[in-house]
Amino acid sequence: MSDPARSPSADAVLEVRGLEKHFGGLYALSGLDMEVRRGEIVSVIGPNGAGKSTLFNVITGIYEPDAGDIRYQGSTIVGLRPHQVVKLGIARTFQSVRLFANMTILENAMVGQHCRSKGGVFGSIVRTPGVRAEEDRIRQRAEEALSFFGKRLSGYRLEQPAFSLSYANRRRLEMARAMATDPQVLLLDEPTAGMNPRETLELRDHIVRMRDELGLTVVVIEHDMRVVKGVSDRVIACDYGQKIAEGTYEEVANDERVIEAYLGTKAAG
Amino acid sequence: MAARRWVRTGAFAGIVTIFLALVGLIGGFTDVFLIGDEVTFAGLMLLLPAFVAGFVAAAPRIEGGERREMSLGEAAVAAAVAAASAGFVFALAVLFTDLIGDERIRPIFLNVSPSLMEFVAFGQSTVVGAVILVALSTMAGVLGGVLRAAPPVIRRPVTAAVVVTVLFGFLQRVIPIALDQLSLERDWLYHPIHDGLTWVGAAVVAAISAGISLLNTRFGARVRGSLSSSIGGRSGLAMSPVRLIASVAAVALLIAAPLLLGSVISEVLGTVMVFALLGIGLNIVVGYAGLLDLGYVFFFALGAYSLALLTGATLNVYGVPPDPAISGDLNFYIAIPIVMLIAAAAGLLVGAPVLRLRGDYLALVTLGLGEMVTVLVGSPWLVPLVGGPSGMRGITDAAIGGFAFRDPQRFYYLALAFVALAAFLSWRLATSRIGRAWTAMREDEQTADAMGISTTRFKLLAFAIGGAIGSLGGALFAVKIGSLTPASFQVIVSIQVLGLVILGGLGSIPGVLVGALVLVGLPGLLREFEEYRFLAYGAAVVAVMVLRPQGLVPNVRRSRELQEEERAQDEWAKAVEEGETPGELGPPAEVTT
Repeated sequence: MSDPARSPSADAVLEVRGLEKHFGGLYALSGLDMEVRRGEIVSVIGPNGAGKSTLFNVITGIYEPDAGDIRYQGSTIVGLRPHQVVKLGIARTFQSVRLFANMTILENAMVGQHCRSKGGVFGSIVRTPGVRAEEDRIRQRAEEALSFFGKRLSGYRLEQPAFSLSYANRRRLEMARAMATDPQVLLLDEPTAGMNPRETLELRDHIVRMRDELGLTVVVIEHDMRVVKGVSDRVIACDYGQKIAEGTYEEVANDERVIEAYLGTKAAG
Repeated sequence: MAARRWVRTGAFAGIVTIFLALVGLIGGFTDVFLIGDEVTFAGLMLLLPAFVAGFVAAAPRIEGGERREMSLGEAAVAAAVAAASAGFVFALAVLFTDLIGDERIRPIFLNVSPSLMEFVAFGQSTVVGAVILVALSTMAGVLGGVLRAAPPVIRRPVTAAVVVTVLFGFLQRVIPIALDQLSLERDWLYHPIHDGLTWVGAAVVAAISAGISLLNTRFGARVRGSLSSSIGGRSGLAMSPVRLIASVAAVALLIAAPLLLGSVISEVLGTVMVFALLGIGLNIVVGYAGLLDLGYVFFFALGAYSLALLTGATLNVYGVPPDPAISGDLNFYIAIPIVMLIAAAAGLLVGAPVLRLRGDYLALVTLGLGEMVTVLVGSPWLVPLVGGPSGMRGITDAAIGGFAFRDPQRFYYLALAFVALAAFLSWRLATSRIGRAWTAMREDEQTADAMGISTTRFKLLAFAIGGAIGSLGGALFAVKIGSLTPASFQVIVSIQVLGLVILGGLGSIPGVLVGALVLVGLPGLLREFEEYRFLAYGAAVVAVMVLRPQGLVPNVRRSRELQEEERAQDEWAKAVEEGETPGELGPPAEVTT
């Protein structure tokens, strides 16, 4: 197989070119390039502060980049607001779980369908047949997304407030909420952080299922190398806001610069 | 250690009593009788702080991470110490005043009147009076302490009985009118001479309210159960029968109130309805969307003045032509939708630059906007349009084919109809896709944005709809008064409306009604207390924030959900103990029927 990083491919669904983001004197991203192809699972790894989460924040429109371009399905998405990016089909989860704690589990997932529905003020007050049907569809789609995780988020739990969930279930709900936006690309920011080994392995299978069953393209920031190894078609390693290695898990894991980034200069030399 | 805390609690209560005396809440009310010839409002104010001190001193403590309830004996001792300290502090103040002469204090504190001095001495010499004072305070405090430490089966009904009885005492100008209207005998309930409750009446009221409260405790669960099965079980009813009966009674009362209470009180109730309307509007902005708006008077004024202009009111000014610069001659019911549209448009216009700001900044900017309206409508510059300081007169009476609504009783129904309409709109919106977006935005704005909600758009929507309902309140206010002056559109309106929304419970429509009744209705019904209105406002809002932050009538659906969730969790925990994997657990059988 040729080096995937250097062959510009027509089926790239997400393309990042020369991306820069500074916070004062800190260069969180300094000229990052990457691309994600349709139906791929890409892991982004790197030590703390390498700019991984900033990358997600810039892609989803939470931060505006200082330079560089982000193209989604061929057209640029730089300058769009986060809700516009979601509507185009890029959904995400957060490193620190951010649910709507006082809304029920079902309501949380239903919020995900917001960008796929359009009931307005008049329709909501009069409850026109169109709005009723739409509300049913929102609910059905939300339940579908929740049932991806089996019984964990369905049944009697639907009507419970999100704050009553265990930590692992909160992470699952966040993923279900993102999946309820009917995305093409799903960005997962450290989905296994805080999970125990059994839950971590289970989630590894879930990530693979997201691609195989739902046809999603997944970009995942992950520290747990078992997960990275288990799910990735491709691994991208970052440090100091730049890509330092790319390839299969084995290639990246044995790359000198990656080892250096993780362990320091001496270990590499 | 503990004793020191009790003394400190008591001393604070004593200082509160001194404060109440100095602002005149004791000396000025020695002849307002609540129950019989013995319990006056002044007496209540004198002993209430000691009672509360006892109640607080007997509260359970957290010791070593565990909550420790006091036994009855301990509670009585703690409360006695606290309340005696309260009485002692106040008695010291009385003795001190007597020593240097109350006539020398009076120039500074006008309310230290001879009648106050006589009242707190109980007609005895000052020293004997002081002893009686400490003794009575201690008794009040012990009552409070014992009540606190008593089991809920006793505490709840007793508290309900006391609160409702005192409330009936306060409503001595209101309830007798209703009884007269219904041609019922009133002398058994209210004293014919001094208007307070009779002891017999008080006992009946206390017994009934205690009984109802008992039904609501665990003790009453069985009675409730048989009650609901006899009314038709849970089949198809979204509410429990008790709640259903209560709701039907409340609605019936709302409809019958003006007929029962006559035109003087209907006048007050009309104002309550106008404020309820404002509350429903502001609740959308603050309660649903979570935007703190301190300038809501903007929409109130906008509604009132635009209705006046659209329906052909005249300027209240001599020396200039009576017709405003812009004037329509529309029917009230045609003008109303236009007024609301204007307000919604103004909401969008004002909101667009302002809603970028968050929290505190938004509050400050809206406060400024509200203040601008007050200045504008009163400015000489706008005299040709809105009459400046002397305002406008001759506002439409909203007549339908000659049936005018200026009369307080009729106006009440007009306002009630609009309140019902606004409540319906607000409820439909809250339970729709739009309401969900607002809730998400209130919970976490950035995440809502990242999940596909255009926060700017939904903020503007809340601002516009809230503004439209607020303008409706303004328009009705104009109809009610018949004339407008800038004095009605001060910043205090914004504060009052926000106060009633918070008091009732953010996000709760019944809460808005209760809040309006308590904050606008009660002071209006008790004219003696007019000058203490804002003192009571402040005290009520502070008390609710400390004791019951969710409000008097919190969002019903949510609180019920929380209770059900507790039960579900119990089931869940039990299943876990029995060795099942919690993750694979299906719905507990009892919860999902």
